[in-house]
Amino acid sequence: MAPAYDVEFVEREERKARFLVRGVTPAFANGIRRAMVADVPTMAIDEVRFIENSSVMFDEQIALRMGLIPLTTPPEGEFVEGDTVTLAIDVEGPGTAYSGDFVSSDELVKPADLNVPIIDLKDGQRLEAEADAAMDRGKSHARHQGGVAVGYRHLQRVEVVGDRDQFEDEEPHIVRGVIEDDGELVPTSEFDHDLTVRYPGKEVRIEDVPNAFVFHVETDGSFSVEELVTRAIDSLEQRARELEDAVQL
Amino acid sequence: MMVPVRCFTCGNVVGEHWEEFDTRAKEGEEDPQEVLDELGVERYCCRRMLVSHTDLVDVVSPYQ
Repeated sequence: MAPAYDVEFVEREERKARFLVRGVTPAFANGIRRAMVADVPTMAIDEVRFIENSSVMFDEQIALRMGLIPLTTPPEGEFVEGDTVTLAIDVEGPGTAYSGDFVSSDELVKPADLNVPIIDLKDGQRLEAEADAAMDRGKSHARHQGGVAVGYRHLQRVEVVGDRDQFEDEEPHIVRGVIEDDGELVPTSEFDHDLTVRYPGKEVRIEDVPNAFVFHVETDGSFSVEELVTRAIDSLEQRARELEDAVQL
Repeated sequence: MMVPVRCFTCGNVVGEHWEEFDTRAKEGEEDPQEVLDELGVERYCCRRMLVSHTDLVDVVSPYQ
């Protein structure tokens, strides 16, 4: 019943990846993209109790900045939506309060980036606060969005159909994404996105490969790209099952 | 006032690169384009967050 999907990585880093998926419909590809953006729960600060804030910014401005700091999200099953973790910060000026100054009550949830400036403190200014991080989805607020700049393109197949006319103008032929050339995957950045660089003097034809999509996924540091994609697919599957149960006779 | 933590458009965290960008490109002599490339700030939405930012904390702090 379940068709086999063919997944191939073009580029793979901890927070950024590009991979090719074959055998999915455009609707399913978009479903995965949307799930990555809006349906994977992540931790983010959503309530702050200020004990002292004598900095130049208002409490709510600082609370917003704290909320946007990515926090590492614990492995699946450790937390459910609605659970909270407390992070405390206490910094006295002169100096800058960084996201790395947060002390977490749980090892699993801590700032993913330690170098984000929260507020610059002058002589005698102080920031002391307790923040509650909660698990929620990108749907409810952008701070809970784990995927950054998630998108996909069709895989394009390039075919040489002949030689270019001798007196034809040498115009650049710009293509972006990943092309397939005799089964080999080539990111267009390798030839400066210009097909005339890769195939000089040739006439080429480009066509979309049906049902093959190249995803570009980045995360904000809450988890790895792999984790984000598998969790997105799990959430799709879970919702599909819920629907199935709901419409059963 | 302070650098935005994330890019307004795509949500990438750009705040962490501010201090290095500031010392190397704004106050230093390096080419902003090269510094941004090295920092891994690729998209132009994220680049404008750093290029167009001015820290105003020092300007407003006397009026507390």
